[in-house]
Amino acid sequence: MLRAEIDGLNIELEEKISILDAAKKANINIPTLCYEDGLSIYGGCRLCVVEVEGEDLLKPACATEIEEGMKIKTHSKKVRDLRKNLFELIIATHNIDCQLNCLTCSRASNCELKDIAEDIGLSKMRLDPIKRGDSVDNSSYAVIREPEKCISCNRCIRKCEEVQGIGIFTTANRGPETVVTTFKDRGMGNVECTNCGQCILSCPTGALHELYQKESVLDILNDETKHVVVQTAPAVRVAISEPFSNQAGDISTGQLVTALKRLGFDAVFDTNFAADLTIMEEGTELIDRINNDGKLPLFTSCSPGWIKFIEHFYPEYLDNLSSAKSPQQMFGAVAKSYYAKEAGIDSDKIVVVSIMPCTAKKFEAKREEMAGDVDYVLTTRELASIIKSAGIDFLNLEESEYDELLGVSSGAADIFGTTGGVMEAALRTATELITGEELGKIEFEAVRGLEGIKKAEVEIGGLKLRAAVANGLGNARKVMEMIKDGEEFDFIEFMACPGGCMGGGGQPISSDKNVLEKRQQAIYKIDKSKKMRKSHENPYIKKLYDNYLEKPGSEIAHKLLHTKYKARKI
Amino acid sequence: MDKLKSLFYQDSLLEKLHQIQITYGYIPEAEIENLSEKYQLARANVYGVISFYSMFYTEPTGKYIIRICDSISCHLNESDSVLRAVKSYLGLKSHQTTEDKKFTLEVVECLGHCGEGPVMMVNNKIFTKINKNKALEILNDCM
Repeated sequence: MLRAEIDGLNIELEEKISILDAAKKANINIPTLCYEDGLSIYGGCRLCVVEVEGEDLLKPACATEIEEGMKIKTHSKKVRDLRKNLFELIIATHNIDCQLNCLTCSRASNCELKDIAEDIGLSKMRLDPIKRGDSVDNSSYAVIREPEKCISCNRCIRKCEEVQGIGIFTTANRGPETVVTTFKDRGMGNVECTNCGQCILSCPTGALHELYQKESVLDILNDETKHVVVQTAPAVRVAISEPFSNQAGDISTGQLVTALKRLGFDAVFDTNFAADLTIMEEGTELIDRINNDGKLPLFTSCSPGWIKFIEHFYPEYLDNLSSAKSPQQMFGAVAKSYYAKEAGIDSDKIVVVSIMPCTAKKFEAKREEMAGDVDYVLTTRELASIIKSAGIDFLNLEESEYDELLGVSSGAADIFGTTGGVMEAALRTATELITGEELGKIEFEAVRGLEGIKKAEVEIGGLKLRAAVANGLGNARKVMEMIKDGEEFDFIEFMACPGGCMGGGGQPISSDKNVLEKRQQAIYKIDKSKKMRKSHENPYIKKLYDNYLEKPGSEIAHKLLHTKYKARKI
Repeated sequence: MDKLKSLFYQDSLLEKLHQIQITYGYIPEAEIENLSEKYQLARANVYGVISFYSMFYTEPTGKYIIRICDSISCHLNESDSVLRAVKSYLGLKSHQTTEDKKFTLEVVECLGHCGEGPVMMVNNKIFTKINKNKALEILNDCM
């Protein structure tokens, strides 16, 4: 037992923790900027400094362990004055000289700097902002970087390196010249960036944000000559309400559909339909590879961040990837062929817009192998901003149903939005297709949860399927190394973002620590509430095969629904 | 122990960078990639280390590297007028190389002769108590 005193409160602690964590336990908030839960301690911003009795210098609360008998003051005059000075200096490196800059900032509605200013009681700004004159990095199709807003908190660097295991960012130069940049300042589009967008979620200043396509989509909606269809990814419906309600874990599928209809989309469809289709194609591929001594383990191919990761770092394993396109791309291909035919619309007139929890989907849509399937990709955040700007009172909207042809989906498609979901959906279908018997228990608990790596052995009609699930690219790398070391698997689901798509780089930035758990519970709740919970039972999928694609893995299915990958240099 | 080991190895990174810099006159990209592999560091990290030190280059430099100190002591002795003269004479900004690959200019922090500023260095040779005319003479001698 360890005793200490914080702001006059006596506290008892079981173990040595940081002053910052100890203060939290005592319900004292110490402002932080470079600190982020789950990342290593950097201690660079010094905003969390506190007074420790007997010490001459103030100590950073994040990087100082509490010790027996310590007497700490977290908000004394000395501390507060220093914090204000430090914050003024930090802010001076963040170019907000023009008020419009703040108004149009990606973090306008949830600015961390503004929160800190409030927390430390900043009342004046004495320093003019420094204009470094750095140009915007728009080399990437997915993520834009505005270095003028960067305050060098290094959270993006640590996120990319520690969580995603990549490390495209670094600090370069020294002293006042120090900047956060990419290898040789090449820009995010010209290095081994996977476009996952996790850095965006970490950036407190809006220096990182997605490549906006909001304006283009609004323009195309006003173009009478176009038939604009929209698809919504599984993870969007459990997060889109967050920017309106500041509350995580709400399901707003029906409101989402209504909002999209009000925005003027000609048809509102569901990526989930294409997720069911993916299961048919990928499941068939899995069974085929198992039966015919094909390349195993089979890797899922839904996550474009993961795809770019393997192309850069493990190109020798590209043949293990399922050739099935991701649900987003499948949807686009089907919308411009099958839907065009069924609805009697010239496919040249059809514009496909996707709403995705993902920034890498923007890159995926631009891949030359699949060019033309999807025209515009909006993140969940972008859609929320469009809905706001259209004056739609999202939370109070009535619910509507997706348009039928490409809008009906099974519960198996819903769980695509979480880690383990693609695996579970595939297992549901593969088991029934192989055994020909109906599943007793439909939930595969072993692949559920938020652990970074999950392994399971599943019995399917006498066959033992060795499955693994990895979320977050750091974990993907670990699994790839396990394979290299000789561990054997049959089927592995990879998702680039921690938690899977629901934790995607395009999702609303939440201050709720349990946001992933809440979104995941919401996703499982949707699945549970559905009568139809297996992809192969989806009548519209059957109809699509009967009327157009013949059967899974057919020639036309291959032409429309499958793709190729390419090795990329680091 | 493993952590200690890797820290130890990372310590030798600077030494390796020096060797490469001496061998090629700069640190080529292929070498950065080798180091990144060897030390299990992202190549951006290796680049970060290189850019931290002003004596490492990622592009070929000129035959003569002109380093002019502009920290406090030299600055008080009017190093900025030397700098201006050299910059306009060579047509360079700091960290740039002339087209004929003869001169690279570096504005640097202390060169360790604060009592004798302004200080200028040409490759490994140090010149103290210079002024703008002396500086231009030194450059002319290099031509």
